Amino acid sequence: MPATASGGARPEEAAAAAAASASAPGPSCMGTRPEELAARLAASGPAAPGAGRGGSGAGAGGEESEHERVRALREIKNQIIGNRTKKLLYLRLGAVPAVVAALAEPGASPAALVQAAAAAGSFACSVDDGARAVLAAGAVGHLTRLLAHHDEKVVDASARALRMIYQSKLAPKFDVNNGKNMDFILSLLNSESENVTELAATIISHSCENSSEQLSLCSAGVPQKLVSLFGGSMNLRDACLDSVTAVIRNNREVASRFASTDHGKGFRSVVGLIHDRSPRTRLLACLCLIALGHASPCHFQDKQIKTKLIMVLLELIEEPGQVGDEAPLALTTLMKDSLELQKQALTTSAVEKLSNHLLANSLESRRAVTILLALSELCSKLEESRSQLMSVEASTLILEALKHDWADIRVAACSCLKNISRSPKVLSGGRLSCDTVIGPLVQLLQDSSTSVQVAALGAICNIAVNLTPRKSVLLHSGVVSQLVHLSKSMDPTLRLKSVWALRNIMFLLSPKDKDFIVKELTLSTLSSLICDSEHFVQEQTLALVHNLVDGYVDSANYVIGEDGMVIDAIARQLNNASAPGVCIQGMFVLANIAAGNEMNKEAVMNVLLPHRADRVRPSFVVNFLQSKDKQLRVATLWCLLNLIYPKCEASSGRVVRLQNAGVILQVKSMINDPCLDCKLRVRMVLEHCVDNADDCFM
Amino acid sequence: MPVRVVDTATPSSQPSPGQETNSVHPSPPSCSLLSAGRCFAGTQNVSSLQKDEAWKVNVRIHGCDLEQGYLCGTMEALNVPLADTPVVTFWEGEIVDAKNYTFFTGKWEASPEDDIRHWSKFPSFTPLLSQVETDGGKSLDLSNYPHIFMRWKEQYFVNVGVDCGLTIAGFYYVCFSCSDGSISGFYYDPSSSPFQKLELKCTNEKNSGFTFSSYELQ
Repeated sequence: MPATASGGARPEEAAAAAAASASAPGPSCMGTRPEELAARLAASGPAAPGAGRGGSGAGAGGEESEHERVRALREIKNQIIGNRTKKLLYLRLGAVPAVVAALAEPGASPAALVQAAAAAGSFACSVDDGARAVLAAGAVGHLTRLLAHHDEKVVDASARALRMIYQSKLAPKFDVNNGKNMDFILSLLNSESENVTELAATIISHSCENSSEQLSLCSAGVPQKLVSLFGGSMNLRDACLDSVTAVIRNNREVASRFASTDHGKGFRSVVGLIHDRSPRTRLLACLCLIALGHASPCHFQDKQIKTKLIMVLLELIEEPGQVGDEAPLALTTLMKDSLELQKQALTTSAVEKLSNHLLANSLESRRAVTILLALSELCSKLEESRSQLMSVEASTLILEALKHDWADIRVAACSCLKNISRSPKVLSGGRLSCDTVIGPLVQLLQDSSTSVQVAALGAICNIAVNLTPRKSVLLHSGVVSQLVHLSKSMDPTLRLKSVWALRNIMFLLSPKDKDFIVKELTLSTLSSLICDSEHFVQEQTLALVHNLVDGYVDSANYVIGEDGMVIDAIARQLNNASAPGVCIQGMFVLANIAAGNEMNKEAVMNVLLPHRADRVRPSFVVNFLQSKDKQLRVATLWCLLNLIYPKCEASSGRVVRLQNAGVILQVKSMINDPCLDCKLRVRMVLEHCVDNADDCFM
Repeated sequence: MPVRVVDTATPSSQPSPGQETNSVHPSPPSCSLLSAGRCFAGTQNVSSLQKDEAWKVNVRIHGCDLEQGYLCGTMEALNVPLADTPVVTFWEGEIVDAKNYTFFTGKWEASPEDDIRHWSKFPSFTPLLSQVETDGGKSLDLSNYPHIFMRWKEQYFVNVGVDCGLTIAGFYYVCFSCSDGSISGFYYDPSSSPFQKLELKCTNEKNSGFTFSSYELQ
């Protein structure tokens, strides 16, 4: 298809034009300037205000006028096909209402109707303003009515125009739950005209959104009907495949019925199409099977078919245009969260093939984005994929992509780095903890796009764990001040991910570096974050604090000092019985502090059992020990154990206080806790109680 | 922990697939003492007929994924005679969970007989012996067993070159006590002294309690 400087015609648009031209041959002898054409069209029909003419365009004395209108319509159509600039020009000239008016005229000649339909469809094709204008002028109603026209050419032209309109996201949804509408769809599907059946498939793909619509279509036998149309033209087959996908997507019941009806005939037909000659058909068949597999995994367990799908999709990346661009995305969807499929992809050299394509193509393409996302998915679970990707040249390209002008590329590159670093093995090797990786990522924390910032935070979050002794490298990159800045963002996702990254940096950090972070963050911000409106932020902040206190006894002063700002915030959250994750992390903070000196242990005791005038309210500790969440029980038991450890007089005093508050009684009741870890900690607590309290206890 | 190269050390075979079983098994017990960041300290006995020697050893867990039966970490040997500095190695572990891995190693030059001979050195293995002899322990439910059995295989030297005169060709049979976090292990390498014993205890700073740290990957 020759493309114009303004874009080029989409296949369906060009086909419609060709059909319309065949129906109204003859050279034009009128002027072809858009202004002139628009004016003539307006003047030739009843839609023209003040034209002073009747509505019977084809009546006596109107033959010449009708002829002129056909010529004007044909000329406009010929000019706008594949030419976005011309479409916009005619839109400004108000040509669309005049074109649609021609469709509405009862006496319009078939030739005029064919040209008007083709022009209306073309206006709606690939230009949102055009689609909007065509819809506003009421074209859908007129074109739908014309599907019953006695002239086949009018019917075909109308069906093609409606298809183009329904391919626009602006087109109204067709409510298939309405009985009349369903009958209408079925009548279209039963038509002998492929243009009309293809229209039905397009309407279904466009309109089928929720499970009740999917069930209605399934109950009416639509999927089987669509499958029976696979034998038609390539366009019809593709439209039907797309439509079947829309009907089964995310709907277990419909997918299951489709896969088992007629002994799986429909399913087998789709499988057969993954080897079709047409690349687009192969892609659509793959997408259909992927949708089926996700909706109803039990009907898609054949390992051989899955391997074939992976191989077909990897081959399709070679295809030019949209098919090659979308194939990696389909592969990503197929492998998502499936270790088994990622392993299969790896055995078909997926990392190598995708990397080679990335290297062979420019980063300036949608394909580069989709390939990076597929590589990212491949690295989300498999160590071997990570190691393969890091060993090829593509890894250099990923770093280049971090600095690319296009935000989608930057996001995809961050996603790759996040998944490569999702591994203690990679983090122990420290290969990503270097300036060439961290520098650009830190830069992206100031990106103008929030999605890039979020993606960069994801990668930094993992790389920040850095299990090598050279952990301080990260701190010299300026990342801490950026993260602290983002932790105060109004956007909860940015707050969450920045605090999460700080928590991971804090993991096993040296005391000096821990001090550095606390000074940047400040205790007041830390306290605010512990009481953040989002419990996920609270949880990560408390995990940050428990990493701060671990292995660095003096750091407990940050928590219990400064007028107790931080520990008060923690106590508030624990007393308010926040989300389990918050309570677990809060108890690990207290456990770590309780592993310190006497002052620290007493500070924790005051949180657990405050000296209050009213002792009516039982300690939250007892509730936590009764929690269904075993991690919360374990964290609480460790805190108690540290409070009464080692054996000394002060520990004995704490045993007595805990006993008086009913805490020890609760621990004793847990001697047969179903969780082994809890059971073992319960024994340790009780043994220490005996050691500490001797005969004054038990 | 690395050991000295004895004669011509045979390189270890690559991990092979086939350890997976299809049956559904619960994961081994999650244990708060076997988690990322946790440190262990102790010794490895490298005695032979000629000498009696023990090296100080520190171990740190870097990652633990019970679902996949995987853990990894570093091992630091402190008084290695041939090395100027402590020698650090990175190791990866297989947790015997009857789901991802059984008691039979099936690689690294370890036969089922070698496996049983080594596992039998751990007293806590005794109740499992007969079943392991039958099927490698595939049908055992270890989800509530207070000991976790593992194999640790050193993968590379972190701070010295491969020409340091030490070898990491073998692997460890390891038994972890969920109760107190103590670890016993036996090094296996057909080319090294047999049954070199590893003994580690969970370190708790300043003996005033157990502390915890954690990270979470996205």
